[in-house]
Amino acid sequence: MLSTFHGLEAAKRGMMTQQSALYVTGHNVANANTPGFTRQRVNFVATEPFPAPGLNRPQIPGQMGTGVKVGSIERVREYFLDIQYRGENNKLGYWEARADAIAKMEDIMNEPSDNGLAKTMAQFWQALQDLSVSPENEGARSVVRQRGLAVVETFHYLANSLSQIQTDIGTQIGVAVTQINSLAKQISEINQQIASIEPNGYLPNDLYDERDRLIDELSKLINVQVEKHPTGGNAPATAEGTYDIYFLNGNEKIYLVQGGNFQFISFPNGQDVDGDKDHIKEMPPATGVTELQVGNTSVSFTSNNQVTFPMGKLRGLIEAYGYVNGQDSNGKPIVTGIYPDMLQNLDKLAYTFGTLFNEVHKQGYGLNGSTGVSFFAGLNQVDGAAKTIGLSAAIDDLANIAASTKQNESGNGNNAINLANVGSMLLSAGTVSLIGTTNTIQISTLNLPLTSGTIQTNYQGWIGKLGVDGEQANRMKNNSDVLRQSVEERRQSVSSVSLDEEMMNMIKFQHAYNAAARQITVVDEMLDKIINGMGIVGR
Amino acid sequence: MRVTQSMLANNMLKHLSTSYANLGKYQEQLSTGKKINRPSDDPVVAMKGIAYRTNLTEVEQFKRNFSEAYNWVENSDAALDKATQALQRIRELVVQASNDTYEETQRQAISQEIKQLTEQLVTIANTKVGDKYIFNGTNTLQQPVQMVNGSITTSSNAEEVKIELAKGIYIGVNVDPTKVFHYDASQKGKGLFSDLQFLANDLDDPTKTGKDINEYLGYIDKHITNLLGVRAELGARMNRIELMEDRIDSQQVIAEKMLADNEDVDMEKVITDLKTQESVHRAALAVGARIIQPTLVDFLR
Repeated sequence: MLSTFHGLEAAKRGMMTQQSALYVTGHNVANANTPGFTRQRVNFVATEPFPAPGLNRPQIPGQMGTGVKVGSIERVREYFLDIQYRGENNKLGYWEARADAIAKMEDIMNEPSDNGLAKTMAQFWQALQDLSVSPENEGARSVVRQRGLAVVETFHYLANSLSQIQTDIGTQIGVAVTQINSLAKQISEINQQIASIEPNGYLPNDLYDERDRLIDELSKLINVQVEKHPTGGNAPATAEGTYDIYFLNGNEKIYLVQGGNFQFISFPNGQDVDGDKDHIKEMPPATGVTELQVGNTSVSFTSNNQVTFPMGKLRGLIEAYGYVNGQDSNGKPIVTGIYPDMLQNLDKLAYTFGTLFNEVHKQGYGLNGSTGVSFFAGLNQVDGAAKTIGLSAAIDDLANIAASTKQNESGNGNNAINLANVGSMLLSAGTVSLIGTTNTIQISTLNLPLTSGTIQTNYQGWIGKLGVDGEQANRMKNNSDVLRQSVEERRQSVSSVSLDEEMMNMIKFQHAYNAAARQITVVDEMLDKIINGMGIVGR
Repeated sequence: MRVTQSMLANNMLKHLSTSYANLGKYQEQLSTGKKINRPSDDPVVAMKGIAYRTNLTEVEQFKRNFSEAYNWVENSDAALDKATQALQRIRELVVQASNDTYEETQRQAISQEIKQLTEQLVTIANTKVGDKYIFNGTNTLQQPVQMVNGSITTSSNAEEVKIELAKGIYIGVNVDPTKVFHYDASQKGKGLFSDLQFLANDLDDPTKTGKDINEYLGYIDKHITNLLGVRAELGARMNRIELMEDRIDSQQVIAEKMLADNEDVDMEKVITDLKTQESVHRAALAVGARIIQPTLVDFLR
């Protein structure tokens, strides 16, 4: 038997349900511009019809609906797009870090321009040519000394600036690691909250959004994989559960977050960047990265001289900063990377340039008859030569500049020509003959670190390589950015709030709400008829 | 596909910033006049740029060396011209003095003049350009001829002063002083200064006859021929230097052209591109203004 107030009850449910749908619409509109927000949808479910099947059911012609209720409030989102987005974001993070590091290096090297090392050297060769035509001129000698000083200072400037940026990149790595640790911690905390909400039958949509946003952020830094774990209890079927986040290293999966637990990542032998009480070494050791520690598991950066570390900003930064790649014959670790490589190249260049120049210079004679004098000093070893190269004290006396190939020939500028040619001397040649003298230079006995091409072509080659690397990094950055954007667009297409749509819904829900209210009026009138209008025949 | 306001706004922003980046690129190209500003813009252009610049600096340097070469050659020639004139005068005087009708005082006057001319020749041999003596080979800081109380000593160095005027080409720019300003008292007719001293002595010597003096005509002529020979060689060398300068000039033009072709912007192209980009940008803005339209919200009141 139907209840008297059945109609009122059904209409009330209608009003309440439409009202909550309106509130969800309001929530969507309010969050239209919230990053990471996913539009939410109210799933309307018709309530159980009357009568329910059973032996004692009343005999009425059919089942009658009893109204509506909010089945669930769900996010409209495609998980697959998240995976795609994170994959592209991961590559973008890597190429962005790399392109950025190379761009900074290009700024410092400043080639091709009128103030780079190539130009400074060209001016030095020019000064030597000038000296060769007027070797007795103090002015020309002084210019040679000053231009030599300019070359030395350019070497110092380049090496120091590159080291400075390298240190900055180390700090950036520290910041990235801190960020990863903080993200892992936040995700684990959200997991905890979700685990306590879901079993009660709720969908914590906004927490899901926040967690997904954090994972998006994390995916830019390192390669992560997400696994879902149901929370159990009375959780709805659409509940996302807690997430386990794994750091992917090749086929190896190392957990960062497992439910409410998480692991710190750090560098063994590294430095504690924030100096706080957690004693986590976020910054890599100054000697280059060999491995990263995730909890107690260590992840090596290279394997068989190949970088195996997964993509992401962290790898980009470490590649720029420098990593240990095997050992040389003396058992000393070989550090490679964008910055260490260029610094080593500069050292090699400074050493080769200085040593070869000295060797030629020693063959000549100064105005005062001096011979065997070095022009450059501070070239004891290749390592750090770009920072230590300087003018030898003997050159303070300009007469010691050996422009002549013969003693007491003030007008002989042949050795100045030889010196001017140092930049284009073939480093692979066994012997280099000199003008104006029968003396030769035995290249092999100098043990130069550069053994092919000339000083100029070597430098040119490095700048060319830098350019090619930069071009590739920029191109890949743009490519992955475009891909990420297109995935993002598809994601937005599914999940972002459309105000028009929300307005339509609002109108829909409002009208339904009004109609449900009107239904109450109708029922009210019916009841009024029964209660006040019936049984008063003839009154 | 479901399209929302935020997607449109994001897209518009993305396109506007791409458009801005392009405008920025053209602006940079126009204001620097260079196609590239960093190696990664175009690694090949950058690498070539370094090589061409080195090349150009080298050529410019050779051009600079030419002025020094001219300095040497022209000053040497001018000095040798003066020396020839002095020798011509000496020759005239010798012709006069070889005439036996000249009496002692007249010969002494001639002798005096010859001594003066000798001094002038010494001065010429000691010609200094800037801070260097040009007639002392590579030993440019030392005076080649010393004259103390009328006695002459020379210390000439016959080394060639070489200047690099093109890659690997060294041209000697000085005159071998031993061929002209020489002193050799061992024998007459060997050295210029020794001969002049012999001549002056003979003129002062009353026992010498016109025939003795006449003998010097031959020596003087030989020295004049020597001088002329040296000057002719100098002239030929100057010719060669001029030819080389022509070549270096055209090399410089080529080097500059290569550098410009490699990295300078094509103004017409970039300005056209800029103009095109500008209209694209305007269009993007206009489209944006149309897209950010009143939504349904504005109509539902």
